[in-house]
Amino acid sequence: MSSTLDIYRRLLLLQFRSQMQYRMSFLFYILNTALITTFEFGSLVLVMQRFENIGGWRLGEVAFLYSIVKAVFSLMDMIFSGFDPPYFGRNVRLGTFDQLLLRPVNITVQVLGSRFELHRLGNIILGLVIFVFAMQLTDIQWTWIKLLYLPLVFLGQICFFGGLFILGSTITFWTVDSIETVNIFTYGGSEMIAYPMHIYHQWMRLFFTFIVPAIFLNYYPALYILDKPDLFNMPPFVFFLAPIVGFISLTAASAFWRFGIKHYQSTGT
Amino acid sequence: MSPIIKVNNLSKHFKVYRYHRGAWGALRNLFSPQYQLIRAVDGISFEVHPGELVGYLGPNGAGKSTTIKMLAGLLVPTAGELIVNNRVPWKERKAHVARIGAVFGQRTTLWWDLPVIESLELLQYIYAIPPKRFQQNMATFRDLLELDSFLHTPVRSLSLGQRMRADMVAALLHDPVLLFLDEPTIGLDVVSKERIRKFIQHINREQGTTIILTTHDLSDVEKLCERVLIIDHGKLLYDGSLNTLKERFGGERELCVEYAEDYLSIEVEGATVSEHNGQRVTYKFEREKITASELISRISLRYRIRDLEVREPDIETTVRRIYEEQLLEK
Repeated sequence: MSSTLDIYRRLLLLQFRSQMQYRMSFLFYILNTALITTFEFGSLVLVMQRFENIGGWRLGEVAFLYSIVKAVFSLMDMIFSGFDPPYFGRNVRLGTFDQLLLRPVNITVQVLGSRFELHRLGNIILGLVIFVFAMQLTDIQWTWIKLLYLPLVFLGQICFFGGLFILGSTITFWTVDSIETVNIFTYGGSEMIAYPMHIYHQWMRLFFTFIVPAIFLNYYPALYILDKPDLFNMPPFVFFLAPIVGFISLTAASAFWRFGIKHYQSTGT
Repeated sequence: MSPIIKVNNLSKHFKVYRYHRGAWGALRNLFSPQYQLIRAVDGISFEVHPGELVGYLGPNGAGKSTTIKMLAGLLVPTAGELIVNNRVPWKERKAHVARIGAVFGQRTTLWWDLPVIESLELLQYIYAIPPKRFQQNMATFRDLLELDSFLHTPVRSLSLGQRMRADMVAALLHDPVLLFLDEPTIGLDVVSKERIRKFIQHINREQGTTIILTTHDLSDVEKLCERVLIIDHGKLLYDGSLNTLKERFGGERELCVEYAEDYLSIEVEGATVSEHNGQRVTYKFEREKITASELISRISLRYRIRDLEVREPDIETTVRRIYEEQLLEK
């Protein structure tokens, strides 16, 4: 058998070629998402011109938070499109997933290669533009540690939300009823962490600290990189939890995914 | 020759949970789940030898697709023994599926938006088919299935018949020893059906591929299969030749006669009149009691016949009789 990585590469190639069949629709989709993001960020800028800061954070600092999540979450959404729970659930119901099991290739790679939403590129690029804009407005004291840590933060976020996608997809082996609730944590969670998290109500913040520890993915790394004070007096190592939280999420989700496949093979839904 | 499929007392039971509504119901679901046990496949045994072309029949929900899914390694059996191609399918999924092929008439395995050839080339890569073998197979299939006219057309633009042919190729490129065909002629016109059937026959005879065919179209079975398995309610009702099936459960044959004159009484010993319409009369008779030629000679002794035709009971009626009457149940 050919190497799994090569097969992934080829599956992606077919995805590109498929999506390029609909060039106009692709361009309009990108334009559409880019417009939504522009309006969203534009209204944030307008609000901040009036109030000068959100919870003590200036526009550049909020833009820093916002842009990272926008770009990285969109990148995750592109890589893990095959695991988007409603999409995956549909494939299980329609039997398309069975067809993947009939091919002699690692099943995870096939799911990842079954869909690759290229039009997410629009938001990725826009996120990067806003990131550059944030760099102009802030005066970050870059150190080697900060420079090395930033990519790990990106990786942590990708792994964390990718893990949630896999978790949500695995649940569809049992039920597709409440699959939309997973979106509260993925899309909802990514919206939450795009803003300084001390502005939220306490129970919400506690939930995203101890139940779904998304606060460590963006807010705490940003505190560290922007040299902002921690209002909650957490021990200093929490600044560096982003990759660990991501790693744990993805590892746990993968274990659950393997368990789910075993279950699927014994029940067939 | 040792069997390629060996099924011994195979069962697959599902628990179908009954969910209660509301918050209180959710608690009940959690702590005292109630379920119904569905015996989708219930203790079936059979063997298939290399090179056989077996029809697997049964009404909807009889357990056909559950059996196929177990044979293909997609489902783990609840109990019993299952060896396919010297492997336990679900234990070695990848090794197992590399040697089998499957076509599900209702859906395609091909990449919807891309030309057929690109899907096939990816499959060549996935199954690591040597280029020379790939070329050989493609040459054969192009000939037999007349692929050339649509090899470079996106799958989404294919007609159903073309798509089915393309899916056949996709399932056979890697020279599987065992092929599962699920409703391969569903929705096709007569010409396309015939072409697909000829192709199935070809790969079975020329390449020696073992084929398990599930279908509702009994003319598929009549044209292709010597042996049929019939399943209902998870149990195997019949395993044997199609001819024996017809003979034993075929029921009454029909003789349609067109007389040269009007007769008042057209009764004849050994047969009953089922239809009498002017000069056209239909008799029913049982094959154990009287042969067709005996009946015809009795009639022709008394009346002048213009034309006649003997009708065999169609297999659909035959199979329905088995389902409904469960004739074979002990």
